[in-house]
Amino acid sequence: MHNPYLPYPVRIAMLRVETEDKNLRTFKFEFLNLGDEEKFAYLPGQFAELSVSGQGEIPIGIASSPTEKGFVLFTVNRVGQVSSFMHNMKEGDVMGIRGPLGHPYPLDRLEGKNLLIIAGGFAVTTLRSTITWMLQPQNRPKYGKITFVYGARSPGLLLYKEEWSEWQKRDDIDVFVTIDREAPGWNGRVGFVPTVTKEVCPPPQNTAAIICGPPIMIKFTQPVLEAAGYSNDDIIMSLENRMKCGLGICGRCNVGPEYVCKDGPVFTLTQLNQLPKEY
Amino acid sequence: MTEYIVKDKLTFLRALASSGYNLIAPISMKNKIQMAPTDPDKVDLDYLNTFLSPKSLFFPQTEKMMAFHKDLTKSDAFVYKPLGLDQVKPSVIFGLRPCDAKGLSVIDKIFQNNRFTDPYWNTKYEPSVKIGLACLNPGPNCFCTAVGGSPFGEIGLDAITLVRGNGFGLKTLSAKGEEFLKNTSGLEIGDLTGEIADLKKKVEASLPLPLDLSKVQGATILSIFNQPHWKTTADRCLNCGTCTFVCPTCHCFDIQDEQDEEGGVRIRNWDTCMSWLYTVHGTGHNPRPTKTERMRQRFMHKIKYIPMKQDGTCGCIGCGRCVQLCPVNIDIREVAKQMNQG
Ligand SMILES: Cc1cc2nc3c(=O)[nH]c(=O)nc-3n(C[C@H](O)[C@H](O)[C@H](O)COP(=O)(O)OP(=O)(O)OC[C@H]3O[C@@H](n4cnc5c(N)ncnc54)[C@H](O)[C@@H]3O)c2cc1C
Ligand code: SF4
Ligand code: FES
Repeated sequence: MHNPYLPYPVRIAMLRVETEDKNLRTFKFEFLNLGDEEKFAYLPGQFAELSVSGQGEIPIGIASSPTEKGFVLFTVNRVGQVSSFMHNMKEGDVMGIRGPLGHPYPLDRLEGKNLLIIAGGFAVTTLRSTITWMLQPQNRPKYGKITFVYGARSPGLLLYKEEWSEWQKRDDIDVFVTIDREAPGWNGRVGFVPTVTKEVCPPPQNTAAIICGPPIMIKFTQPVLEAAGYSNDDIIMSLENRMKCGLGICGRCNVGPEYVCKDGPVFTLTQLNQLPKEY
Repeated sequence: MTEYIVKDKLTFLRALASSGYNLIAPISMKNKIQMAPTDPDKVDLDYLNTFLSPKSLFFPQTEKMMAFHKDLTKSDAFVYKPLGLDQVKPSVIFGLRPCDAKGLSVIDKIFQNNRFTDPYWNTKYEPSVKIGLACLNPGPNCFCTAVGGSPFGEIGLDAITLVRGNGFGLKTLSAKGEEFLKNTSGLEIGDLTGEIADLKKKVEASLPLPLDLSKVQGATILSIFNQPHWKTTADRCLNCGTCTFVCPTCHCFDIQDEQDEEGGVRIRNWDTCMSWLYTVHGTGHNPRPTKTERMRQRFMHKIKYIPMKQDGTCGCIGCGRCVQLCPVNIDIREVAKQMNQG
């Protein structure tokens, strides 16, 4: 019987400090055992429990795309016990990952639609996965126009610069990267995510929005989308709650009758409007 | 389904114990009746119900899930290996009360849900044979009939017995029970249908009437969640968690790592939604910051969320343990009534 609690052993193949405050690090993992990569078949929007033997586990969104073979990527903010311990680990160290957990973004249902993808701060992780996946030649024709709005407080807090600079050069995605306030050396946009969204959001007809960011950003972006005429079925979000099992068993991540880990973390605004705001 | 007459209790219990299964049955420990592995001679049948629910047989209060070592000369240093999943001798559990058996079936649907199977639960729960003991003299805190159960309830059981003179009446309820009892010595085929129906009617009549939960079931989640009574309902609650520990359908757990110089283990421990730590994020944000939200969660889970997810089955099975043991006398029946009134 498959044991969904047992992590696949992985090696830290590469470590990268992502932000100037050094609070975010990207981990590139390679599976130690042949065949485990296939068992860990995932789609954008899913997450995994990263396991450090003797320290514990943390749920982290998968930042790589399944089209990137041979490794998986996660970007971890330094918060408490396990994440801080991980920040002190080195390339070559062995740890574990288990999953994939949760549901991906509804990639099938979104086919044929224009997409507005909005990210704030380090919540951009699973959207890196999504955009990388969608820009693959075999996937890109399935979607209409893609607009990406990404904001952080300052240039040094933006993740994945290499990736979005590449995307900026393409003509099949519109990329709007913004920072909260003017900063030396920054020639790009300045302004909060909700303001930029208001300016650049495509018309709501046949368009869906995926939003990931801190609560304050979501709070001010949601009304912008509503005012622009987006339907609640087409506003898609990913929730976070404290987790342990990731399997809908240990009980702790519930929002009403739904478990964020097993039934989410992806929900539409229509679904969320019927649930208690316990997240 | 076969009905049997069992002439002598002890002969039957001895036959169960020599069946190649571990006998688990009610015994007296520290003046409390508990389900535990036992010799047939020590089984105590003079009990209302066990002090704690039988969930710990399949879901121990603390359980080692996996272990690792730190010996870097070996290639699997720091790699977790599972514990406790080896095939063990299966158990025959005798004397489960019907309410508790129903409670086990409620949490079974969570441990083996629509996406994942918990192997630690599965390896203990699936092979065990569960034999119930019908309640002929329910206690003052019993209210199974108020929440859709019965003192002769059959859910979650492979067979049910009732005390009959020096022996039992016995009825098989599943293919597993049928198969197991077919080979047990000392059973005579009998006809108990009329007798059970009469007794069931009589005992049920001595128990509370069904609670009216129709409005709770019909209403939206948010209309019940936002009812004004929660603040006062939770006023007395100490968030002590007693109700969650004794509840047969509370299944929440925490996962923790422990280690020393040589290696470590990952273990799970019962947890309680009454605790502040249960939901607090690493950032300090807590979606259930005060006792009111935490207590509301427990009752919403039992009376609204579980029925929504399990075809109307109530998450409370009416065993009465929380009613009896809550230090401030919070009564789930009263809370349910309030939820139904709005
Ligand atoms: C679906 C999902 C995706 C996430 N994706 C990312 C990501 O891509 N990058 C990132 O940096 N963070 C992400 N998080 C948040 C991350 O899980 C927490 O920051 C992390 O668990 C903190 O653990 P800790 O041990 O460092 O902190 P402590 O405060 O010491 O936490 C102790 C334990 O509580 C649990 N816990 C605490 N906070 C959270 C939380 N917010 N969410 C879930 N469990 C928690 C964990 O089991 C943790 O080990 C995500 C959370 C969820 C639910
Ligand atoms: S036993 Fe009573 S006081 Fe303790 S948490 Fe439960 S309802 Fe509250
Ligand atoms: S983390 Fe255990 S139920 Fe969601």
